[in-house]
Amino acid sequence: MSLEQFSLRGKAALVVGASTALGDAAAIALAEAGADVAVATGLPTPLDTEATNACANTIRALQRKSFAKTIDGTSESEVASLVQQTVTELGRLDILVNAPDLPFAKPLAEVSLTEWQRVLAVNLTGVYLSCRAASAPMLTQQAGRIINIVSVLSERGMANGSAYCAAQAGVLNLTRALSLEWARNGITVNAIGAGWADGMGMIADEQIKQQLARYIPNKRLARPHEISDAVVYLASDVTGFITGQTVWIEGGVLSRL
Amino acid sequence: MGVLDRLRLDNKVAIVTGAGRGLGREMALALADAGADIVAAARTQAQIDETAQLVRTKKRRCLTIQTDVTDSASVNHMIEATLAEFGRVDILVNNAGGATRGWNKPLEVITDEQWHDGISLNITSTFYCCRAVLPHMIQQGGGKIINVTSGLGVRASRHNFMYSTAKAGMINFTRALAMNYADKNIQATLILPGIFPHDDPQMTAFWQGGKFIPVGRPGRDNELGPACVFLASDLSNYMNGELIALEGGGLAGGEVPTGFAPVVPLLERGKS
Repeated sequence: MSLEQFSLRGKAALVVGASTALGDAAAIALAEAGADVAVATGLPTPLDTEATNACANTIRALQRKSFAKTIDGTSESEVASLVQQTVTELGRLDILVNAPDLPFAKPLAEVSLTEWQRVLAVNLTGVYLSCRAASAPMLTQQAGRIINIVSVLSERGMANGSAYCAAQAGVLNLTRALSLEWARNGITVNAIGAGWADGMGMIADEQIKQQLARYIPNKRLARPHEISDAVVYLASDVTGFITGQTVWIEGGVLSRL
Repeated sequence: MGVLDRLRLDNKVAIVTGAGRGLGREMALALADAGADIVAAARTQAQIDETAQLVRTKKRRCLTIQTDVTDSASVNHMIEATLAEFGRVDILVNNAGGATRGWNKPLEVITDEQWHDGISLNITSTFYCCRAVLPHMIQQGGGKIINVTSGLGVRASRHNFMYSTAKAGMINFTRALAMNYADKNIQATLILPGIFPHDDPQMTAFWQGGKFIPVGRPGRDNELGPACVFLASDLSNYMNGELIALEGGGLAGGEVPTGFAPVVPLLERGKS
């Protein structure tokens, strides 16, 4: 075994959700490991656009190719053209990382159908759209790595988190289903189950962060790179026998009662 | 430091039990490739001697310690000998184990001896090794414990009582380690290998070439080492109590025939 096997040199990646803390860290880690990385946000706001542009600049500073794009991540045609542009500008598509994170928490009785549908659309339907679009080049080359970043709320419930929890759990089982569908096509589909991390949308509040840290066996929140380091591992050539799995990186929160 | 540099295990010392062959040897060699010095432990001296030779070709030190992991005195000696030689221990891979005790037998005919021997080899051994190593890891300020479980640790199969029980025990034992020693900077994780015939034609035939595995092939030995290095390295520092499964997709869908992919059109009720 050589550590060179973990290198992503010569590979092309697309990170959707690069304006989030974890998406941003994933994109930069992939570039550090040698990949060219297209970055996109599916949330068309000035803040998300700015963060995505900054991410692309960081990648280019690492001497890797990159471009940033702001799209509506729930639009079929915009996701399709994002994948198309990635293949055109980077020459191929080997790695897709989905890291959408639209936080939302409210008592269910007050959740409107519009809110519910929006949370499901961004956090779940967007993942379906990008997996479907990316599968075309990946099936042609009979190789690919799809990595969906989910939260521990895909596995555990949280009061007031109904819509978010449902969407996250949806991504987790979408991952399992797709892993089987493409198992014979050289495409692995895995999830990374992220613990509570610095910069996550669900926990902007400093007091909540401190409460969480007390509850986490590791006694602190994750640093975004601790999640994205595993993206590099799952994206590499050495993980062809890992598919349909969730790699949990959560400081032990799922281990405790 | 770049992400790939943080995979390096230079100046670290790793103990691998069951290092004389198969997955244990493969993990020991991968850890050495990443820069660690190795302690190869197993019952059969000739086999760990071979592993040691292979480690030394990678310019790493390797200490062999003939060990019976079911005997706590032997395990304690293994840790003492490691500290005497290297002065530290950073990584413990609890790989020793085996499925043969009471394998393929209905519960009613499993003997006391088969049950106790199997549980002792697979799980009590891990308890002994962890108990002996923890004080040193705590004193050093941290460490990594990597336990090996199996698909049978999360799902059941026909006539596999002892192994399913022991390997499920391994998973929750690891969670307990994770939760209790997280504050000592000790991370406990698991590797779950699926079917790895180790290039043995008989084993490959027995597993039908892996045709029932979703990816359509069994695992390759060289796929296991990188997972072990990942879990032993700083890349997995926030991963605790959790597992990496290398099994080709079998766990994602449960026991369904490979290629089971029905197509059912979406029809509105009342419409054709």
